[in-house]
Amino acid sequence: MSIKVVIKRNTYFDSVSLMSLSTKANQIEGVEQAIIGMGTEMNKGVIRNVGLMTPEVEEATAGDLMIIVKTANADETESAYLAVEELLTNKNSAQAKSDIKYATIDSAAQGIPDANFAVISVNGAFAVREARKALENDLHVMLFSDNVSVEDEVELKTLAHNKGLLMMGPDCGTAIIGNTGLCFANAVRKGSIGIVAASGTGSQEVSVRVHDFGGGITQLIGTGGRDLSKEVGGIMMLDGIKALDADEATKVIVLVSKPPEASVEKKVLAQIKECSKPVVVYFIGGNEEAVVAAGGQFAKTSKEAALKAVLLAGIDDAGINKRALNLPLIEEVRAKLSPEQKYIRGLFCGGTLCDESMYLAMEKFNNVYSNIQKNPDFLLKNINVSQEHTFIDFGDDDFTNGKPHPMIDPSSRIERFLQEAKDPSVGVIVMDFVLGFGSHEDPVGVMLPAIIEAKQLAEKEGRHLEIIGYVLGTDIDKPNLEDQVKKLIDAGVTHASSSTNAGLLAREMVLKGDHHE
Amino acid sequence: MIHAKSGDNYFLQQLVDTEFTGTVHSVFKHALNIRSVADGEIFTLATTAMDNAPNTLVIDLDILDNLHIKQNDSVRMKRDQLLIEDKLQIAIETATCWQCHLPIYPSDTTKLKNNVVQVKRFIDLYGKSGGMKRSDSPVSEFEAETSRLLKQRTTLLHDGLCNRRLDSFQQYALDLVGLGPGLTPSGDDFLVGLFTIIRLEGSPCSIYQPLCESVIKMMKPLTNDISYTTLKKAAYGQVRESIHSLVCAMLSGTETESIQALKKVLAIGSSSGTDIALGLISGLEANIKLGG
Amino acid sequence: MSKINELFTSKINVINVGIELFKDDILAQNASATHLEWSPPGGGKPEIIAALNKIDKAELAEKIEAANRLAVEKIVNSQPVLIGFDQAINVVPGMTKKTILHAGPPITWENMNGPMKGAVMGALVFEGLAKDLEEAAEVAASGEITFAPCHEHNSVGSMAGVTSASMFVHIVENKTYGNRAFTNLSEQMAKVLRMGANDDSVIDRLVWMRDVLGPILRDAMQLNKEGIDLRLMLAQALHMGDECHNRNNAGTALFIQSLTPYILETNYPVEQKREVFDFVASSEYFSGPTWMACCKCALDAAHGIEHSTVVTTMARNGVEFGVRISGMAGNTWFTGPAQQVIGPMFAGYKPEDSGLDIGDSAITETYGIGGFAMATAPAIVALVGGTVDEAIGYSRQMKEITTTENQNITIPLLNFMGIATGIDIRKVIQTGILPIINTAIAHKEAGIGMIGAGITHPPMEAFEKALITISEKWA
Repeated sequence: MSIKVVIKRNTYFDSVSLMSLSTKANQIEGVEQAIIGMGTEMNKGVIRNVGLMTPEVEEATAGDLMIIVKTANADETESAYLAVEELLTNKNSAQAKSDIKYATIDSAAQGIPDANFAVISVNGAFAVREARKALENDLHVMLFSDNVSVEDEVELKTLAHNKGLLMMGPDCGTAIIGNTGLCFANAVRKGSIGIVAASGTGSQEVSVRVHDFGGGITQLIGTGGRDLSKEVGGIMMLDGIKALDADEATKVIVLVSKPPEASVEKKVLAQIKECSKPVVVYFIGGNEEAVVAAGGQFAKTSKEAALKAVLLAGIDDAGINKRALNLPLIEEVRAKLSPEQKYIRGLFCGGTLCDESMYLAMEKFNNVYSNIQKNPDFLLKNINVSQEHTFIDFGDDDFTNGKPHPMIDPSSRIERFLQEAKDPSVGVIVMDFVLGFGSHEDPVGVMLPAIIEAKQLAEKEGRHLEIIGYVLGTDIDKPNLEDQVKKLIDAGVTHASSSTNAGLLAREMVLKGDHHE
Repeated sequence: MIHAKSGDNYFLQQLVDTEFTGTVHSVFKHALNIRSVADGEIFTLATTAMDNAPNTLVIDLDILDNLHIKQNDSVRMKRDQLLIEDKLQIAIETATCWQCHLPIYPSDTTKLKNNVVQVKRFIDLYGKSGGMKRSDSPVSEFEAETSRLLKQRTTLLHDGLCNRRLDSFQQYALDLVGLGPGLTPSGDDFLVGLFTIIRLEGSPCSIYQPLCESVIKMMKPLTNDISYTTLKKAAYGQVRESIHSLVCAMLSGTETESIQALKKVLAIGSSSGTDIALGLISGLEANIKLGG
Repeated sequence: MSKINELFTSKINVINVGIELFKDDILAQNASATHLEWSPPGGGKPEIIAALNKIDKAELAEKIEAANRLAVEKIVNSQPVLIGFDQAINVVPGMTKKTILHAGPPITWENMNGPMKGAVMGALVFEGLAKDLEEAAEVAASGEITFAPCHEHNSVGSMAGVTSASMFVHIVENKTYGNRAFTNLSEQMAKVLRMGANDDSVIDRLVWMRDVLGPILRDAMQLNKEGIDLRLMLAQALHMGDECHNRNNAGTALFIQSLTPYILETNYPVEQKREVFDFVASSEYFSGPTWMACCKCALDAAHGIEHSTVVTTMARNGVEFGVRISGMAGNTWFTGPAQQVIGPMFAGYKPEDSGLDIGDSAITETYGIGGFAMATAPAIVALVGGTVDEAIGYSRQMKEITTTENQNITIPLLNFMGIATGIDIRKVIQTGILPIINTAIAHKEAGIGMIGAGITHPPMEAFEKALITISEKWA
């Protein structure tokens, strides 16, 4: 006879697991008797009665888990114990095995009667079919996939509209439904502000600013970037506004998009007019007068949009930290930059973040280039070579093309960053780092060695290289916002507190005397 | 952020009135125990699958063991929210307040007598063995011996009760503490049921109340913290909602109501529910005899 | 309240298709999410997706749905009853003295594999059409013999499926729809013709089956006026641990139990009756062909429903795997290469010894038993090289590619789920999940016989061809 005893200090299993483990352990081959139980005095007494008492068992206390394995032969004890131990560790995986697997939306919808939503991110060539199946099964849809034709988009959205379902996307990267962030989204407080957005990072930015200002989100409905085009006609945005208008928890509605096509803008404005709740409109580079005429609240920047929304939602102005621009810092950097260091280079993962900084720069400069410029005269001739002020959206098709999105893999811009850092005409490099669901686990970390290298190089060459970093995320996001910001600051990067501030800081720092207004 | 659905009055007060801080004691699929730093008392967060219970807050979650919460994680209150590290935030203002008020022992025990018979029969058929209820095929000698001792000691305790043997009550009760398999040992579970009956106002065996309290004082080292807290609460008349419902149904409800309520109790833990119910019955039978 | 507003106030429960990370994030927020085991429809081939999209158009899709509902209704409602035994020449439609029926889709003598050639030669000697095997090969090649698939004669045949005029066959009648199906008798498990063996012992057994076994069974069933309800018996056998393709222990016991009283009443010498019982007892495979005929009878009732994409036949001739679908009436076969059978082999044999998948027995899977009902037969999961969990998984997975559950025949282990019924070629292609088939492995050389058992799948190509054809024809 041979006995092995292991005492696990302060280890608790629920009773159901303990009983089933105990039954299974006694069925293991070679085991004459196995005991898995709490080390109370009374249980120890029982063990004494059945002749299995050992000094280790004596020492167990009421909060300890005792595992006692008795085998006939000494050489079997260890392997029998290991088998018992495996039972303990596999307690959960055994349940997972019998989980039912589904291969199609039809069978899953049938097998899970509570399913109410489909998130679809398969290749665009197959995505339409899956989305249609989902809608036919009365599921709301978030279609993350891109490369879907506009005809298919119209068909899907019309089908959804007729069935009263959400059809977010194609190319919808962000949504928060019932406090659950989907795809790329941030952990934000539940509150009373509803967002309908045609742009992913734009809506992430607004939701994060709302949270930072003490407000919260009811729902964040993504529409996909093409919703406000003439062909699609804003089907999802209009339905989204209506739904938020009817939603009791929502007190304020925020719209985020690039400016809609003219005919669609009319429809949206008409909807705003009809809406019973205040609507804040952030159409990046859009027309203020029309919005105001429709009774909407116009916001020029993402930060302004968030601020207006939280004030309308009744948050006390006095209690909000509005995170004003650090004017002395701007002066300081201006003084450090040499006259040749004239240009901003913006390297962005988030399209709207790129857009916002670019539009802010365009207010002061007439030589702003980008791979996503609307005006063809200012499209980069070669996307790999910057011209004067250049803002690059690494999430655009030009750069992704089969590679993961830079929010998932931010390393794609390292090389470009080092290239810009060597350019003596560059004064400021501005970058975004996106946290939250779906994003990279340490976006700052992957850029850090390159940042340090660039700083050292500039110092060696006797110039100041100003790097501005903006970390999009909330204090409850993962990875930890504070840690990410600290990494930046420790590396000598200027931390911007918002997308808007990042754009303003960059612009103001390179403004030379002759541009001054 | 997660919302609390309902909570034990005492626990809610502790959260709101004191600067509550604690550490995670243990995590299960449907319950998470917290040890208060102030006095070491155990409090519980329970999923929607659980009922209201003393020292327990039921929160709007289905599963608790997938949040990566570990033993000794810190727990604190911050602006009406209970925080466990950065892993779980619970808004408590939404919680409805719950408190256990045990019924008064009735003067007319006709219904009770019938209900006791029916409940016993049902437990015989459907109760879970392994604890108080002997298994037909014990998996080990350990289990068989445990069952034997449980049977022997509960019988002694019951007989003592019926014969007003005040002197031996403490020892017999203490002999049961910590005895048996499961997280809450079967002996403890039995005592939870028994103490509940002793605690009923007008209960013929309420003469044992002071003895229960002294048993509680002596038993702390004999069992684990979770079980200790449950038993201590029971000794002061605080038991979980399903036990409360069963007691009410058996005292003055119909047979059907009693069996309905019993089913919910039997579902507690593995054999715990059965052990508790047998404790209740032991107490009620003693009452019937003593009151007779 | 609109559905969108309902969503706002309810708990989100997501079906995630594509990037799995999104599911993890949802679960981490304590919401419910299920990740689909998704693969691109048609393996991502553009022509297949185009064909799928064509038949997905609302008007046609509705027709297909309605047709498939009717097809599975017929399969489920079919009540095949064994009404007797007789020689093929007397009962099988189109049978002649010089006809040889074989398993699978059509094939010429030249193209047959070793075991099937061996079986044909043996049958020719048995029928007296050739004096020995050498001459049999000449006769087979002479063009005098009509070769035809069993399936095209309301029949099915196990393994090589070779059926000739004087062999005795089961007569199974569909009490609901009136059609009949046939299959020959089990030769049990020694060296047997169906595996391509053809020496004297094989021929002698065939002669005994023709002269003793067949007549006794025929006369016994003549005494049984009710017939034997095969569907009911099949359902019982499944509850007793058979899947009725590779495991027939329970089914054979039930079957012989119901035949025995009538056998006893026939006017044959006791020794001959004794021989019959000994023969049945020699292998539990005895009822294997019976279930095949039962399945065939139900599936034939569902064949020829316009616009139905339900599979009514899966059969292999050792070279090709053939599929027929209900919506293509008559004998339109969609084929692809027969596959290897993967599974444990008898001692002394290696995978390279095995012939390719052969036989009409996949009719059982077409109906929803066999590999589809693996969860009923945990005892043989090792025989087919799997685990019990896998067996349960297979039975569940087959629901992904079928139209309905047949509640007449249930799987206790899966909470009495009805067997997965009505393979839909659209679903096979959409999911990339192929029907699973339990089967025996025959040696690739003629005359050696069974050397193992295992599982196999049809070639996707057969389903793709069917899809392309209907998308061109119906759209």
